[in-house]
Amino acid sequence: MHQQSIAGFAPSPPAARMECHGSSMLKVAMATGQDLFARTGSMVAYEGFVQYEPNPPAIRRMASQWLTGEGAPLMRCHGDGLLYLADYGADVVVLHLSEDSLSVNGTNILAFDAHLDWGVERVKGMAKFAGQGLFNVAISGTGWVALTSRGTPVVVDCGRGEDETYVDPDALVAWSSGLKMKGKRSFKASSMIGRGSGEAYQLGFSGQGFVVVQPSEDSADRLRARG
Amino acid sequence: MAREFQRGHKARLSDLTAGTDLYVGVRIDAPGVTFDISCFGLDAEERLSDDRYFIFYNQPKSPEESIQQLGEQAGDTESFRVTLDLVPEAVRHLSFTATIDGDGQMSQVGPGYIRIVAGGEEVVRYPFTGAEFSTERAVMLGDIYYKNAWRFAAVGQGFDGGLDALLQNFGGEVLEDEEPEPEPAAQPAAPPAFAPPSGPPPVFAPPPGAAAPAPPAPQQQTPPPPPQQPTPAPQPAQAPAAPLPHHAAPTLAAGLAVPGQGGHQPVTPGPPQPPPSAPTAGHAPQVPHAPQAPPAPSFGGSFAAPASGGFAPPAAPGPTAPPGAHTPPVAGQQPGYGVPQAGGQGLAVTLEKYREAPNGQRWTQQNAQLVRVDLGVDGQPVLAKQGSMVLYQGKAEFGYKGAGIRGRIVGNATGQEMQLMRCSGSGQVFFAEEAAYVHPLELQGDAICVSAENVLAFDESLQYEVRRIEGHGIPGGALFTMQFHGTGTIIVKTRGTPVVLPVTPSTYADAQAVIAWSAAAQVIVSSQVRLRRQAYPGHSGESVNLQFRGAPGNFIVVQPYEV
Repeated sequence: MHQQSIAGFAPSPPAARMECHGSSMLKVAMATGQDLFARTGSMVAYEGFVQYEPNPPAIRRMASQWLTGEGAPLMRCHGDGLLYLADYGADVVVLHLSEDSLSVNGTNILAFDAHLDWGVERVKGMAKFAGQGLFNVAISGTGWVALTSRGTPVVVDCGRGEDETYVDPDALVAWSSGLKMKGKRSFKASSMIGRGSGEAYQLGFSGQGFVVVQPSEDSADRLRARG
Repeated sequence: MAREFQRGHKARLSDLTAGTDLYVGVRIDAPGVTFDISCFGLDAEERLSDDRYFIFYNQPKSPEESIQQLGEQAGDTESFRVTLDLVPEAVRHLSFTATIDGDGQMSQVGPGYIRIVAGGEEVVRYPFTGAEFSTERAVMLGDIYYKNAWRFAAVGQGFDGGLDALLQNFGGEVLEDEEPEPEPAAQPAAPPAFAPPSGPPPVFAPPPGAAAPAPPAPQQQTPPPPPQQPTPAPQPAQAPAAPLPHHAAPTLAAGLAVPGQGGHQPVTPGPPQPPPSAPTAGHAPQVPHAPQAPPAPSFGGSFAAPASGGFAPPAAPGPTAPPGAHTPPVAGQQPGYGVPQAGGQGLAVTLEKYREAPNGQRWTQQNAQLVRVDLGVDGQPVLAKQGSMVLYQGKAEFGYKGAGIRGRIVGNATGQEMQLMRCSGSGQVFFAEEAAYVHPLELQGDAICVSAENVLAFDESLQYEVRRIEGHGIPGGALFTMQFHGTGTIIVKTRGTPVVLPVTPSTYADAQAVIAWSAAAQVIVSSQVRLRRQAYPGHSGESVNLQFRGAPGNFIVVQPYEV
């Protein structure tokens, strides 16, 4: 069999803890002592000796507020080897935090270093939309984080003007923790922004920082839907 | 607002902007021609005395990252980030050039520009077109150079040769490039030639056999295996003196060493590169990963000693990690370890490539899937598909845009109904939908037919109406499409990368995959549809092939997705 044409997809040797393989697959170099939290069900392949512990007690405590109360859809991965993660072909964004902090929409998180400080938060003011399951994970410290985004995301500075930045919650991926956030509803009956339901709401951000937005309003949690 | 330069204009950068962190964007394209856009970091004599400052596709950044190639974005064919404060004293002249890769000549080039953006705003732009050039194969577009202060000059000077001639012009030397073969590195000089000019990292000289993967190695912090010390005789004195011939080699070879193409293989047979003797507690090279022997040690490394230089990913810096990034002495960057927390550059840097595109035009394509409109530019409202707004800044207002009773009846009857909202006011609005690819089309009095569900947004100045295509074999008796005409921009979205076909005497498209065509093309329902249907058993039989006819210059757009 000719493997010439497909050989180009062989992984490159790891040069960092987390790297993208292509645009939508994440490659993590695992080592003993450097555990990783990953979305349950996101593993697509691994080499070496990697073990998975879905929903360990520690997570359950940390994520006690996870909106549906079923426990966090995270698994703890440990061992030595190369781990490949993906989320239904969504683009993967690899970030390295160095004493930064970041809030990530729960459905957009793919993996992060276990030694980072993290906690699950409910988005304030959004309780009304509980059906949406809008929760976010606040991560801080120094380490690696991988996010998913449906399409190439854009990073917008909020502190630029005096005006607030309004984001469609379905398209929101992450934002820097320092931002002030408030829900905004358009009360005009004729206003028809967002999902065509006639329900118009956006999240307004103000302060110094940035927001990351994906070019899609599809926030369905595919990993979770699969169960 | 940006200043527009003509060829030959010069200005002090401090008169243009207070910022020193510049984004330089180049737009140049011509049908069927690809371009290599590079930045030459020259010294005061305009010679390329240090080829680590030749920033091009194989070497996307300079050692201290003062010049970085960012790639295609925001409507620019290529973009660079230049941090003037970090540019070393030796580099006084940055020349931005575009060269044709393959066949073609500069006169084919459409309207393009080189621009500088600082602080999120475009500060200067030098527009050019192919009419200014003739048969040249390269062009020097603009220079940022230091003469008492940093200045920008719009050059626009054509150059007959290609990239190699340009490189020679600047005093560089081209080795047989393009082929990832190990020879170029080994050939030009005796093995010791790999001595990095700046000297500090201990040098090790690979025997010719290990040429390809070796170049990155000297720039890593990996302590050199002692047994090899004798060979290096790196002649640090000689290296800086005549750096060019030698250095061109490592950079090219390193960049071209594609993983999986055997580029790394030489490592194994090469010199007995013992895993670093440094204090690597618990470091156990794992043999099971034999195919990847060199990187294997990285699995086994213990987290406890990450800073010890204990990991040796010798072949690691492939294309993803340009060797420059690992030069330890510079800027206190983390060395290129295999596993540990290295390479991290903080949030700001990692997110840099997703930064918002600079302001300027009314419609700006942020990336393949996002488009931004600046409503303030001429105060004209935009009509957009409901729910397609993902983010806005400023005082934008969104209102329901009704189709009117007649519009609604027509829309219901034809299926060509658009649920629209009107965006007015001032501010910037980003539109996107389901990560579909977006394509701004500018209409200047001409017309285009677009299927209603593929319209994302358009200027309110455009008129539109439903057009009917009749033919046999179409379910419902006819096909409907939206025809837009007038002056303004329409944003069309496609699933996947579309193909734009010129209309020839025999141009056919699946009615479900074609999304737009220039309105002057005539549409005929193809009679071949029946034959086709039999040719594909199991086909639903509902799809219709359309044939397009028209004068040259007409086109159709087909997406790789049948609705």
